[in-house]
Amino acid sequence: MDIYLPIAEVSVNALLLVVLGAAVGFISGLFGIGGGFLMTPVLVLLGIPPAVAVASEANHVAASSMSSVVSYGRKRAVDFRMGGVLAAGGAAGSVLGVEVFRWLRLLGQADLVVSVSYFVFLGVIGGLMLTESLAAVLRRRRGEPAKRRGDRRPPWLYGLPLKMRFPRSRLYISVIPPVVLGLGVGVLSAIMGVGGGFILVPAMIYVLRMPAAVVVGTSLFQIIITTGLTSVLQAGRNQTVDVVLATLLLAGGVLGAQFGAKASSRFRAEELRALLGLLVFLVGLRMGFGLFVAPEEPFILMSGAN
Amino acid sequence: MADALPPAPPAAVAAALTETNVRVTSSFRGARIVLYGAVFDPTARPSDVVVIVRGPEQPVRVARKVQVAGLWLNSRPVVFQGAPGFYMAASNRPLADIAGFATLRRLGAGVDHLAINAPAERRVETRYGVRDMVVSRLGTDYLAWRRAVVRLKTRAGLYAADERGVRFVDGGLFRAEIALPAGAPTGVYQARVLLFQDRRPVAERVRTLSVEKAGFERALYLLAHDRPWSYGLASVAVALAAGWAASVAFRRS
Repeated sequence: MDIYLPIAEVSVNALLLVVLGAAVGFISGLFGIGGGFLMTPVLVLLGIPPAVAVASEANHVAASSMSSVVSYGRKRAVDFRMGGVLAAGGAAGSVLGVEVFRWLRLLGQADLVVSVSYFVFLGVIGGLMLTESLAAVLRRRRGEPAKRRGDRRPPWLYGLPLKMRFPRSRLYISVIPPVVLGLGVGVLSAIMGVGGGFILVPAMIYVLRMPAAVVVGTSLFQIIITTGLTSVLQAGRNQTVDVVLATLLLAGGVLGAQFGAKASSRFRAEELRALLGLLVFLVGLRMGFGLFVAPEEPFILMSGAN
Repeated sequence: MADALPPAPPAAVAAALTETNVRVTSSFRGARIVLYGAVFDPTARPSDVVVIVRGPEQPVRVARKVQVAGLWLNSRPVVFQGAPGFYMAASNRPLADIAGFATLRRLGAGVDHLAINAPAERRVETRYGVRDMVVSRLGTDYLAWRRAVVRLKTRAGLYAADERGVRFVDGGLFRAEIALPAGAPTGVYQARVLLFQDRRPVAERVRTLSVEKAGFERALYLLAHDRPWSYGLASVAVALAAGWAASVAFRRS
């Protein structure tokens, strides 16, 4: 059943989009990430213009994150205060990111920046997560005691001014690191069409030292705010949000996310991290592939001629 | 002897389209339109028919992949003006057999003769002592760029050249098919039907065709462009409501 997308101006199979949305939604609920880093490349492969894919995907990520954050909220696994601070940075970041993306499109370097960001961020973060979590899995298999996570929190986290209490995360830290983190993720959200969960989750664990139990829910909460804003800005500034595309994706996405959130309790945390790390790493490699291999067609048509 | 035969009336061509208004709705997957016509020529000289369909003009931005320090990057994009968003040239036999280079170039018949150029790359300078020479900054690569535009557009189904696309079905009756892909731009299209005799165009007929978004698609498209902020807010509201509804529905079950 093919359907013509009014903004993307291409015709795609509607059922395929719903199934894709469900699959990515499942992964989203399972790992506590938006899933945009998987969906955006697939949409581009389906022939949807990258600018439209990035913008409409932000909408889909907002929906599936909303779907799973409610379940995490019920389990008291969301630190709303931390999420709010992250989102404040994220909001500024996405305003900046949409402008940067607009400028890059005019320069004709938008595709390049998208592939380089995917390659660098996904490759590095996926690789790190994979090695760290595989080491943890191996230690358990050998029956060694889990390496104690140092309670020695980095001193710079405490030396900074503007401290704030985050009771649910049992933290009393400066708001500067989360705001800066949110800002970076907001920029990436606009440029890469992702929620940024794949950066937020590890950063919250390893940098902010938040308890693992609240990380996923909090990450999803801040993703909703950032991607929601990104989506409105992309629609307002670039007119690239295709609501038909987003609706088809989120129809599957919100259901998939529910199943994913349920399934997540059946796996061990480090096994989940290893799987996610592998997935992130592979997508990063795939997106970076084009940077290293001589293209079959040396010329490319670019969107946005005027 | 050389008496009273009246001069033969000039040859003429007539043509019509099976559809003159293509509506792009949610089920649009491209369209096939048949152009049919007839050649009227009492002298029955050999005639050739060329059909040229042009869509609304759309500047094209092209970039070239260049290798920089081992990485394949995009070059600065080059903007080509004068490129139609859709172009089709069909004829009953190869264009080169129908008319000469200059004629084809003047009429813009055939993808090789499309008047597309990159004015921003143009520069006037003195070369070999000749003043005011127009040269392109793309230099000798210019043709490669130009060919790339045609090749990429052809791959997207937007440009086509079919040297057997016009078929004479019976006597002077002919037909040609216009295949619009789903990605065909909206706007007014022009179909020029040219009759050639002795390598010269002798008659012409122009038909117009409009492709426009209709119904729901049109409403959404207009909304997204006329009221982008409300459109954006509404789409996010739909997304959040759907996410919330799904989690509520699942809690019950």
